[in-house]
Amino acid sequence: MSDQVTLTIDGRQVTVPAGTLVVDAAAALRIEIPVFCSHPKLDPVACCRMCLVEIEGPRGPMLQTACSVPVREGMVVRTDTEQVKATQEANLAFILLNHPLDCPICDKGGECPLQDQTMRFGPGISQLVEPKRRKQKHYLISDTIVLDQERCVVCWRCIRYLEEWEDKPQLGLFERGGETIIDIQDGKPVDAKTGGNIIDICPVGALTNRVARFAFRPWEIERTPSICNHCSIGCNVRLDSRTHKLRRIIGRENMAVNDQWICDKGRFAHAWVNHEERLTTPLLRKNGQLVPATWGEAVQYVADRLRAVKQQHGADAVGGIGSAKLSNEANYLLQRFMRQVVGTNNIDHRDGGAVAALPGGIPALADVMKPQYGPNPKVDTIFLFGVDPSEELPILDLHLKRAVRRGGAKLIIAHPRQVELTRYNGPYLRYRPGSEATLLNGLTKYALAATEGDKPKVEQMVGDVTDAHLADLCGVDPDAVQAAATLLATSKSALIVYGPMAARGETGQAVLNGLTNLAMVTGHYERLAYVGLEANSHGARDLGVLPTHLPGYAAVEDAEARSRFAAKWGGDLPTRPGLSYKAMLDAAGSAIKALYIMGANPASERPVWAENLEKLDLLVVQELFLTETAAKAHVVLPALSWAEVDGTFTNLERRVQRAPRAVRDPHSKAAPDWMILDHLASRLGSRWGYADEHAVTRDISESVPLYAGLTWEALGDQGLQYDAAPVRPRPAYRKVVQAPLPAADSASFALVTGTVLYDGGDLFRLTRQMANMAFGATAVLHPADAEKLGVEAGDPVVVSNAHGELTLQVKLDVQVPPGAVWIPESLPGAPVGALLNGSDAAAVSVRPVVERQAALAAD
Amino acid sequence: MMLSEAVRAEIRSWMDLYPAGRQRSAILPALYVIQREFGYCPVEAQNELAEMLDLEPAEVGAVVGFYNMFHEEPKGEYHIEVCTNVPCMLRGAGKCMHHLEEKLGIHHGEKTADGKYALDHMECLGSCGTAPMVSVTEQKTGKIRYFEELDSAEDVAAMLQVLESGNAFVTTERWTPEGDPERTGKAAGPYRFGGMEPRYLLGQVGKADSHTLAVYERDGGYATAKRVLHEMEPAAVVEQVKASGIRGRGGAGFPTGMKWGFLAPAFPRYLVVNADESEPGTFKDRMIMEYDPHQLIEGIILSAFAIQAETAFIYIRGEYYFAYTRLVDAIKEAKAKGYLGKGIFGTEKNLEIIVHRGAGAYECGEETALLTSLEGYRGHPRMKPPFPAVEGLYAKPTIVNNVESICNVTHVMRYGVEWYRTFGTEKSPGMRIFCLSGNVKRPGLYELPHAVPLRELIYTYGGGPEDDRAAIKAVVPGGLSMKLLTAEQLDTPLDYEAVQAAGSLLGSAGVIVIDERASMIEVARRTLSFYREESCGKCTPCREGTGWLEEILLRIERGGGRVKDLEIMEHITRFIAGKSFCPFGDAAVWGLQSNLAKFRNEFIRHIEQTNPEEIGPIIPIRPIYRPDAGSASVLRDSTVVPVGESPLNRDHVIGD
Repeated sequence: MSDQVTLTIDGRQVTVPAGTLVVDAAAALRIEIPVFCSHPKLDPVACCRMCLVEIEGPRGPMLQTACSVPVREGMVVRTDTEQVKATQEANLAFILLNHPLDCPICDKGGECPLQDQTMRFGPGISQLVEPKRRKQKHYLISDTIVLDQERCVVCWRCIRYLEEWEDKPQLGLFERGGETIIDIQDGKPVDAKTGGNIIDICPVGALTNRVARFAFRPWEIERTPSICNHCSIGCNVRLDSRTHKLRRIIGRENMAVNDQWICDKGRFAHAWVNHEERLTTPLLRKNGQLVPATWGEAVQYVADRLRAVKQQHGADAVGGIGSAKLSNEANYLLQRFMRQVVGTNNIDHRDGGAVAALPGGIPALADVMKPQYGPNPKVDTIFLFGVDPSEELPILDLHLKRAVRRGGAKLIIAHPRQVELTRYNGPYLRYRPGSEATLLNGLTKYALAATEGDKPKVEQMVGDVTDAHLADLCGVDPDAVQAAATLLATSKSALIVYGPMAARGETGQAVLNGLTNLAMVTGHYERLAYVGLEANSHGARDLGVLPTHLPGYAAVEDAEARSRFAAKWGGDLPTRPGLSYKAMLDAAGSAIKALYIMGANPASERPVWAENLEKLDLLVVQELFLTETAAKAHVVLPALSWAEVDGTFTNLERRVQRAPRAVRDPHSKAAPDWMILDHLASRLGSRWGYADEHAVTRDISESVPLYAGLTWEALGDQGLQYDAAPVRPRPAYRKVVQAPLPAADSASFALVTGTVLYDGGDLFRLTRQMANMAFGATAVLHPADAEKLGVEAGDPVVVSNAHGELTLQVKLDVQVPPGAVWIPESLPGAPVGALLNGSDAAAVSVRPVVERQAALAAD
Repeated sequence: MMLSEAVRAEIRSWMDLYPAGRQRSAILPALYVIQREFGYCPVEAQNELAEMLDLEPAEVGAVVGFYNMFHEEPKGEYHIEVCTNVPCMLRGAGKCMHHLEEKLGIHHGEKTADGKYALDHMECLGSCGTAPMVSVTEQKTGKIRYFEELDSAEDVAAMLQVLESGNAFVTTERWTPEGDPERTGKAAGPYRFGGMEPRYLLGQVGKADSHTLAVYERDGGYATAKRVLHEMEPAAVVEQVKASGIRGRGGAGFPTGMKWGFLAPAFPRYLVVNADESEPGTFKDRMIMEYDPHQLIEGIILSAFAIQAETAFIYIRGEYYFAYTRLVDAIKEAKAKGYLGKGIFGTEKNLEIIVHRGAGAYECGEETALLTSLEGYRGHPRMKPPFPAVEGLYAKPTIVNNVESICNVTHVMRYGVEWYRTFGTEKSPGMRIFCLSGNVKRPGLYELPHAVPLRELIYTYGGGPEDDRAAIKAVVPGGLSMKLLTAEQLDTPLDYEAVQAAGSLLGSAGVIVIDERASMIEVARRTLSFYREESCGKCTPCREGTGWLEEILLRIERGGGRVKDLEIMEHITRFIAGKSFCPFGDAAVWGLQSNLAKFRNEFIRHIEQTNPEEIGPIIPIRPIYRPDAGSASVLRDSTVVPVGESPLNRDHVIGD
């Protein structure tokens, strides 16, 4: 059978791939067949009956639904006969019969397929004289989604999305016949993390966006194709703005990145952009108080003080902290500023130099995607090591579910928590934090056993790991380890992904080495990927916001590379590797006298750092908000957000994408990061001469070979990937040694950290509609442990160890293993860093707040 | 936790009944357990069930909402439901409801103050030959019993007395005013039947203990199955059934053997017996299951052997509680004898029969909707192709056959193809159980060969018009969904081809006789009330159109009609028929189309009498909505009271 099929629609021939549906074949001829239930990314159900067309059959032309019938060779379709038109009219009359026609107060009005099709295909008059059916109007089915059952035309798109993509059918059809409604189960709101997509695909105004409710009419908005800035997937979005304000974010199709889906954080959490708490003017500390200042004053002050510190203590007494949340341009210029203008390699960002990352990220997100129409994913197995996509990268979570359910892919998960994706029955290895090295050696050993032929020399390196080690030290079932290793060894093309939680510090290097061994043994090294979690985690690394590497991963000791950049930038570049993020903050006030912090908030991470920052001679903070860190600064420089200035970001698969300026507050004096740094450089005697942000992008493309050719114009609105091969290290087997674990006595708990989606940072917290979704300052325990401790959900507990102490509310969750406590990062009021020293695994004790016990005893 | 350990254990035992990985199928039985425990299906219990079945709570809620027999609030110790569908309506269901309302002191849709009785109207309960009738559900046991032939106030009083006695559910066999062992000394037994001599499909009915294996076997039962399983190849059985020309008795009349021939060459395969007899005017399968269940079981053994299935399901409508218990008992008996289970009749063949109760949804009689329902979902039809024979139950090759079709297989295999073809016509061979109801003297089941003239059925067997002064006006020949025949068409032979030539279809052979006393407007409106109620809601034309038609008919009935409405209705029906997802759409409007075509004058006369000025209805002005800023994070916005069903639909359901 040929792969191509030729058919005739309305007398015109068209050739399309076999399996194409008639409705799509017609679209190829630009013939519009009206649809409501049909959606190109969902399975057909043929329930709305709008797309009935005549298809020639043995018994003459038959009305059939174009959305469900695949093309056949020689098929003859007519979409323009009297019968078809009459049917379309009648169907629209049925659809509108009980529709409230409240378009003037409906958010969808103006971009509503029902309106459009009524105008194009509808009868123009209603014969209904009976009362319309009443149903429930505008009520919340989640904190962010509003449902109007009267407007609903029961097309099932929302239900199908949640079933087919999210695998969480939290919406259903309730009742029957004319009373059929879309609804949630009473008291069980939609909590799927990408649930908001159902708003985008609703063909009527039944599902509307609570955050954007009544904020605009569709014909008033400006639409800017952009990307999301919440995580490293880099989902393509559209920013809708009106009167200088960001009003709404919706998904935009990019079949290499996010299909057309985005997560709820990306969709709804954008109130911060136009929030009143945004900094709008520079602040200068005078008499101990931060007071408004002019840009001239502020920049001159920073220049003078930096020069003074450098003269007094040397360039290496100055440090710069960049941000994986900010654009390539901002980060590139900050490191240029530190290296060229200040003359130090003290430049890093959170999860920068201290992380054992592998450049390049995932070979291609498309390899794990299973679009509605298209082949199965290129990778047949995905091994997640210390990554929880459901909380960290929700669209990857969506892709993986789809790959497993529809694409035949297998999933292996190694994680201290029983993360959501473990429900897919792949081997799940719940390891004890800190025991990664042993686990990886065990996996490599079993992988070797499952591989035929000569054994590489790594065999001796892992040979001493026994099942007893796996069981006792890591707490994993050796059978599961064997199953996972065998699966990896026998799969044709496996993707191995690890993230920052597993990649930090000493343990991190061991994890990278162990994964490298495993990937080499199983033949998947080229698909071993580190994924950073922030929107520009990969860009910040690529562009040298690291104490050890210049842009493009040339080591700072590399004289040739140094001279290449020096030739571009001017001056001599420092040769000694700088201090890492943690080292700079630990040394703040001692070896480090001045810090320039751009878009980071270390004061909220660890109490000790907050104290150190106060000891600095100069603290400059370039920020959007008066954060805990900014509040301690000598100078606060107000910056513009990703939505307010053109910038590029590099996602976890090396795709460099544009985020153009969509809005700007005309009353704010905040300035783009690049401009602030450019001005500062010139006050310190270095004329960079960037005319605009595109000039910075061009500079990057010319100076950094990795980014060659990636100019603003070239990127287009779907982005471009660079070739990672030149910067991927050559693989080599390394011995992986298990570091000693903290003593596990029965009273202590293993501390599990990690990132959660609704963390409550500024970018989330300020969207008040989502307040109830925030994770909160909590310590999550297994119910059995809580019972032992005599605490219940909501009770306060003290979590402490030698490093510090936190008082948190108890939350119960069976996904946390017994004997562990889960305290995610970036929760306001819960600086889990207080309990950590470096990134090593920590043991903590958990005890109920004494007062409560005493109070109970007194009762 | 709301569900006790005992309840959970019971639910788990239901889950174990279904093939591995298909535990979702246990959702309906589990909900029956929950409803028996609580008197309704509380949301919390639904959520706990969802957890047991590894589903999202909304998936359980969606199922509860679909099926009529599950309630979201308690319905009283005894839930009395009066059948008000057309066959019952013709025989005084309105009066019956009226008597009940008087006696109980409540309106339908209400509950007595002491919570003892709840009264509702109900669509066809499959008891058309014994109308008017009610079904009563005893909450604490979940048992359902039919109380039939409630012609007078005295009958209704007698029935309530039985309920008051507390012994009403010692048996669930049907009750009639005469058939009440405690009062009259004799049980009701099978309802009226007759026809040719000897009878085959109804051959055992009427004998003492006809439902037992002993009696069935004494009269030659199971001998055929034993012989066939020992001596024949499956393919040979398929060939014989093909040659016999048996046509499906559920309504569509598709040749059974041909259907079997479509099976995809994959295993496991399933046989699903469609016992969801819900077409108004049809009550034949009920009789077979209640009084001759072994006939069906033997048919299943033969059919499953032929199609090489090792698991058979009987999807029986939820209201048929007594038939359900008879089937379960019969299967137990057969299994004990080694006729079912592993190595049946000493051969290598295995067969398990699982009886699965529906829960009140007409749509589940459609074969794909039945399979969806059996899998534990809302009973929506699904797309064809793939046809069930290729991808049916659990996406495996599946044959769905009606009870009576399966029973025919037994007789074909017992007496041979040639014998079978001596009955009926070339294209409609064999005998048939005709269900006669409505305005005749002797409604009941009559087993006759195909092609018996309609007149002979009505006059010779049915005894002619119920009231000698009222002539027959119209006849529905094949269940309520089929087009009407007029009095001039009484000589139509009842076979597929002849009825089709007369402009209707033989359908399920449910013959409903309508005499002059009945209003065709009421017949039309009752018909549409039924289809509006039973539309599954999947596709637009049927979901919206049936309700619209009912509203128009209600308005005409109540004196607000316009002649123009007749044209509007004709227009609507044209765009439901053939445009909807499944044949339900056609079924919903064929009756009305023929009614409007053949009795148009009666409609016009009614409109002229009740609304001579043709005053149009007042179009209600919609309330002004206030914009909602959505500020409060509460899940239900209390500013709009949920609107239930239109009062129009409910207040006028019942006639006089």
